[in-house]
Amino acid sequence: MDSQTAGIVELLVERFGVEADEVQDDSRMRDLDLDSLALVEFGLAVEQQFQVKVSEDEIGPDNTVQDVVRLIDAKLAGDPR
Amino acid sequence: MTGHGLRGGTTAVLAGLGTCVPPKVVTNDDLSLVLDTSDEWIVRRTGIRRRHVIEPGSSTSVLAAEAGRRALKSAQCDEADAVVLATSTPDMPCPATAPEVADALGLAGVPAFDVGAVCAGFVYALATGAGLISTGIAERVLVIGADTFSTILDPTDRTTRAIFGDGAGAVLLRQGEPGEPGALGPFDLGSDGSLSQLITVPAGGSRQRASGVPAAERDHYFTMQGKPVFKQAVTRMTESSRSVLARAGWTADDVDRVVAHQANARILAALADSLGLPPHKIASNIDRVGNTVAASIPLALADADLRTGEKVLLTAFGGGLSWGSTVLHWPDVVPQ
Repeated sequence: MDSQTAGIVELLVERFGVEADEVQDDSRMRDLDLDSLALVEFGLAVEQQFQVKVSEDEIGPDNTVQDVVRLIDAKLAGDPR
Repeated sequence: MTGHGLRGGTTAVLAGLGTCVPPKVVTNDDLSLVLDTSDEWIVRRTGIRRRHVIEPGSSTSVLAAEAGRRALKSAQCDEADAVVLATSTPDMPCPATAPEVADALGLAGVPAFDVGAVCAGFVYALATGAGLISTGIAERVLVIGADTFSTILDPTDRTTRAIFGDGAGAVLLRQGEPGEPGALGPFDLGSDGSLSQLITVPAGGSRQRASGVPAAERDHYFTMQGKPVFKQAVTRMTESSRSVLARAGWTADDVDRVVAHQANARILAALADSLGLPPHKIASNIDRVGNTVAASIPLALADADLRTGEKVLLTAFGGGLSWGSTVLHWPDVVPQ
């Protein structure tokens, strides 16, 4: 597991009460029981941890853990998506 | 105005605190009888367990006057030179509600006016009151935040009806010296009108009336886009808090208590996290009163069990968008 993925998993486990063994690369946010407000909170936490800007519609219930990692990687690489 | 000459250089000091909520309580279970909701859902989404609402015969001015009366009593003072009322649910669209509140308090003749900055209104009213004092226009200003959002909510909207409650809170500001307990510190105030549509009552104002198109009934009700508002609330209160702390020469660690606008328990938790503060430093009474809009900061101040000398950060965010923050050392006042 790369460090970005590990960071995301740690956030989900420590801050959103997700069981570590439930989180896979292809786990969708809805499968992890993140409701719409939790997705906003998750976006804010991602912003703080990775020092990137995430708008409130960039992480949706159907996005997977891997999608979030790719989003962060793209933002860190300067892709203004 | 009051006839006082300009005597700049003085500071506004918080000298009294009073609050008022209407007697009728609506619990989550009460709401679940008439709406598709549940106590569990509301608590999980908002942290709110009950709220107070007004009944026929009451109004914003009634709550505001009672909170003002109690603030004067708390300050052991029987008059003020000005009344500043933060509200976005005035008794009528015109005139302002503050003159009637002043009259009800036996203060007829003093300058009295409303300030509209929705949930940030109390901080804006504090800044306005502090300005009246620092310019020598008034020596004692009654600053009130009062709202009755139960009167503008869509009765069929389970989200907004769960969140908002009615109430009023007031402080008496007096002339004082910088550095004394209760002296209001620097202010940070801001707005972003490009996002005004996130929090609105669409109808009833000049834009809709000038259009000549009759408004749909639902357009007279309060609307809010929850997700972007949540994010903006956390981001703006964090930035504003950092800005005012820097101006005051305080670090986040210096702060003993944060009394933030009580919008949603999860916003308060995210704010604590974002400021790097432990949750116990964030005052919260939202479970008992809900989001009382302009009244939320004084109601939370009264419930926060603050100790004399504690370093307190006030921060608020609301429709406009607008936001504001200030700091003070908590004075020796007994809330009424």
